[in-house]
Amino acid sequence: MINLKTRFFGFELKNPLIVASSSLTADADKIKAFAESGAAAIVLKSVFEEEIINEYNQIGESKSASHFDEFMDYFDYKIRDQVLASYGRLIKAAKEVSKTPIVASINCISAGDWLQFASQVQDAGADAIELNLFVMPFDPTRRAEDTRRFYIDTVKEITRRVKIPVAVKISSYFSDLAAICHELDGEKLAGITMFNRFTSPDIDIEKEKVIEAGTLSSENEYLLPLRWVGILSPRLKCPIAASTGVHEARHVIKMLLAGASAVQMASAFYKKGPAYIGEILKGLEAWMDKKGYESIGDFKGRLSLTKAANPALYERAQYLSSFGGYAGS
Amino acid sequence: MTDYSEILKQERNAAWRAELRNAVPNKDRINIERVHMTEAEPHERIKSQTCEVNKGLSPDQARREASRCMDCVNPTCIEGCPVSINIPKFVKYIEAGHFLDAAATLKEFSALPAVCGRVCPQEKQCEAKCFYTQKIKKDPVAIGYLERFAADYERESGKIQVPKVEKRNGVKVAAIGSGPASLSFAGDMIKFGYDVTVFEALHEIGGVLKYGIPEFRLPNSVVDVELENLRQMGVNFEKNFVVGRTASFEDLKELGYKAFFIGSGAGLPNFMNIPGENLNGVMSSNEYLTRVNLMYANQSDSDTPVLRGKCVAVVGGGNTAMDAVRTSKRLGAERSIIIYRRSRDEMPARLEEIKHAEEEGIEFMNLANPIEYLPNAEGRVAKVRLQRMKLGEPDASGRRKPVSIDGDVVEIDIDLAIVAIGVSPNPLIPACLAGLKMSKWGTIEVNEQTMQSSIPEVFAGGDIVRGGATVILAMGDGRRAAASMHDYLKNRYNL
Amino acid sequence: MNKIVEKQRLSELVFKFVVEAPMIAKSRKPGNFVILRIGAKGERIPLTIVDSDLDKGTITLIVQNVGASSGKLCALEAGDCITDMVGPLGKATHIHKPGTILAMGGGVGIAPLYPIVEAFKKAGNRVITVLAARNKDLLILEKEMREYSDEVIIMTDDGSSGRKGLITDGAEEVIKREKVDECIAIGPAIMMKFAALLTKKYNIPTQVSLNTIMVDGTGMCGACRVTVNGETKFTCVDGPEFNAHQIDFDEMLQRLRAYKNEEDLARKK
Repeated sequence: MINLKTRFFGFELKNPLIVASSSLTADADKIKAFAESGAAAIVLKSVFEEEIINEYNQIGESKSASHFDEFMDYFDYKIRDQVLASYGRLIKAAKEVSKTPIVASINCISAGDWLQFASQVQDAGADAIELNLFVMPFDPTRRAEDTRRFYIDTVKEITRRVKIPVAVKISSYFSDLAAICHELDGEKLAGITMFNRFTSPDIDIEKEKVIEAGTLSSENEYLLPLRWVGILSPRLKCPIAASTGVHEARHVIKMLLAGASAVQMASAFYKKGPAYIGEILKGLEAWMDKKGYESIGDFKGRLSLTKAANPALYERAQYLSSFGGYAGS
Repeated sequence: MTDYSEILKQERNAAWRAELRNAVPNKDRINIERVHMTEAEPHERIKSQTCEVNKGLSPDQARREASRCMDCVNPTCIEGCPVSINIPKFVKYIEAGHFLDAAATLKEFSALPAVCGRVCPQEKQCEAKCFYTQKIKKDPVAIGYLERFAADYERESGKIQVPKVEKRNGVKVAAIGSGPASLSFAGDMIKFGYDVTVFEALHEIGGVLKYGIPEFRLPNSVVDVELENLRQMGVNFEKNFVVGRTASFEDLKELGYKAFFIGSGAGLPNFMNIPGENLNGVMSSNEYLTRVNLMYANQSDSDTPVLRGKCVAVVGGGNTAMDAVRTSKRLGAERSIIIYRRSRDEMPARLEEIKHAEEEGIEFMNLANPIEYLPNAEGRVAKVRLQRMKLGEPDASGRRKPVSIDGDVVEIDIDLAIVAIGVSPNPLIPACLAGLKMSKWGTIEVNEQTMQSSIPEVFAGGDIVRGGATVILAMGDGRRAAASMHDYLKNRYNL
Repeated sequence: MNKIVEKQRLSELVFKFVVEAPMIAKSRKPGNFVILRIGAKGERIPLTIVDSDLDKGTITLIVQNVGASSGKLCALEAGDCITDMVGPLGKATHIHKPGTILAMGGGVGIAPLYPIVEAFKKAGNRVITVLAARNKDLLILEKEMREYSDEVIIMTDDGSSGRKGLITDGAEEVIKREKVDECIAIGPAIMMKFAALLTKKYNIPTQVSLNTIMVDGTGMCGACRVTVNGETKFTCVDGPEFNAHQIDFDEMLQRLRAYKNEEDLARKK
């Protein structure tokens, strides 16, 4: 009997498939479908600081409010209360339709703003919190030290404040990624997910404008998290989940072999719907069966940095000589 | 509809106005320095909640200040006024020594000039548009001080002109709430000949004018004279009456009321919802100011207590925050601190209030924002943790957004915290009216011109429509609602 | 206005007043309260409306003399007027017919419990009422409660009436012997806290009526705020009744002590 159990978010999961935070996890009906299709955990759509900013801007622009600085001064708090209240309702609704663990997701740009949110989310019944530490280094005045301090302080504050497990989802934009992860590892986290995925700008050359690139991840995006899961999983105490570009059973298996405890998926479900979970699990089981593995633990991390026969490939940044020439030569 | 600018032109051409203009050349007017308001001395005035800080202008000071006004061909000051008061006319009356005429002019437009002269943010309104400010970068004519002068003069002279009231037409109307919006609504409707009753939930009439704005800014006696005027004209006041609870709207209709003006205000306190906010010693500015201004809790013979602090933190940067922090000083605080997340320049309070607060020894901690209150062993607030902020990009209101400086958190010892971050519309009345269209923020939706709500016989104005706004805007709403309710009722009941 | 037409002493510290208030009498429902003030510098205090008479246009209030303000009211006589009185405030009790109601009234909390017991009985429920007081002199409204209860159990601290024991002892006996569909408990905050803990053990939906500090009573100031199910609610407009199992009683008890120092000082004056 094949056992797909694994551990992430501070508890045991029935299999390694986590539905990632996205618009797929924004309402109770969709969440129910994922739960019924066998998802091991569901991360709710993030509460974005952007939502609050947009709402605030809309009101600020409306004629009747334009003069009243005193009225608008702390209006963002009111908007936040409303946004959080409706998120609390989403958590409650999700818990009602699903026995699968529900993880609340907080999109964090700044530590100070989200402290009370964490306890509200806990009170609403979330089983765990995922902090999406969402920093892209485009600000020339912001140094690595600032971001590092932001990550560590936010995690410290929130883990201090709540009893439910806290996990983080990080970006890859670090020159000291290993050091950051080590430091996070010391903070009693229930998991580190690598990596979050920013929407990309693209350019429409006919209209000559900047547009948003497609929101779904593409084939080879899995290679980036694969490398780092391989490098970091043997060195960190806390479990790792891989995210971005995990589209098929084979990607899941690759990540597990590299040392991940679980994966988070979204794009594949946009294309194929919740029922796809069953297909992936079948593929995973079939491979395990073929290989003679009875549980995830039997093969997890077998090909990580310390265990792989040729670990140097994880660390090598240069292309191998086989790509050195042109196709024609 | 007579063109206002035509009227202004005609009046400006009146003989007495032309004479006044010719009496003094403009270049001489420009050289007069703006008048300095006599103020009560800071060390003395912080010993009393009722000692008014601004003492008012003397007649000589008023005439001299009025003479600075150049009676512009195009009076831009009027554009700055939310109710378009005929500013040059009343200012010129003052210059000419006809103070009662000045008061009468004010009362054509504003129901409570003694109030507005004291609380309007003139620096953002009329005085911001004055020729002096706009064109020659000098201190504007002190329009606010002059308005107060004329209103006070009339009141103190005992010769208050009770406006002409039309013959009663037998139609009953109700105003809900007794703040500036309802009071100005009532003042107009009684003039039109209606039977007007103002219903007030509290035991005192006046709304924010009484419970919100402290006496050192707006003495109760000033408000009471205005209320007495309304009574003289025939307005009825019912205290201790919560419309929708004490009697429903249907009950009132059965009693003969044909139309309603809702001016119930923004009396719902906003909190930040941060940890520790429910500790003893952390309260809303509404609670603090109501205890002191309405219940006289600072006085020893009052039964209502108020918590006094040695070190008081007030969160916010508006007029309410200034009122609360200055009240705390008067209640004996050794340290009274404003904690505001933006810079000094961005504080929305009236400049005069900030200046007075500084003089009184109020400390300003700018670019700081509370994130948690911490208790002592008895459950009373003992510390506040503050996140230091910096200013980022401007947001939709045009002001720079405060951004946390990660990791920069300080703790200060306090024993009282007042949360003065704004108010929201009180939901009690709207909840009692089925079918009343509301915005998602709790304000009543009305036609902006007529102030009529989704229920034809219900009109609304003031903070319950605008969120939190100013006294003058509330008054403007009340007057507009009265005019359109009058049209509505005229048609319905063939008046 | 607000004239007292009748005053009756129910115990050493507890008085019953019947007050002229035709509009309030007409609009009021069980669970509502009024806010009143005695004297020009009087404090605004909340009191539950115990009863009303539509024909006479009166309401009945029961008050315990515990401090300066209640003391002033208790000193008034029939014929005197209450300076200010406003109501009916608060959300009315949700009266329905779940079957068997267990009503628990502690001390002066028996007064606000009475109209609720009456309403539940009139709605067709079986009503078992447990009343508790320190001793028999402090036990009020026993006769009135018996009129609207299928059974009344009396508990006193000293055994001078009924049985010796706590209100929760009497209540637990009822719960153990028969199926209780809903519980209402009103009394000192600490009593309501323990009543809630008891009924939570047995999963019985329970309402309590909170007696927080209040100033205006119309939702304007937040003095009466409590945390219910993790959210801040105002006792005066969202309550005074709440789901007992969702209330942060410890926070509520702490907030009740906010003015203890000031009250002690006032008493000494």
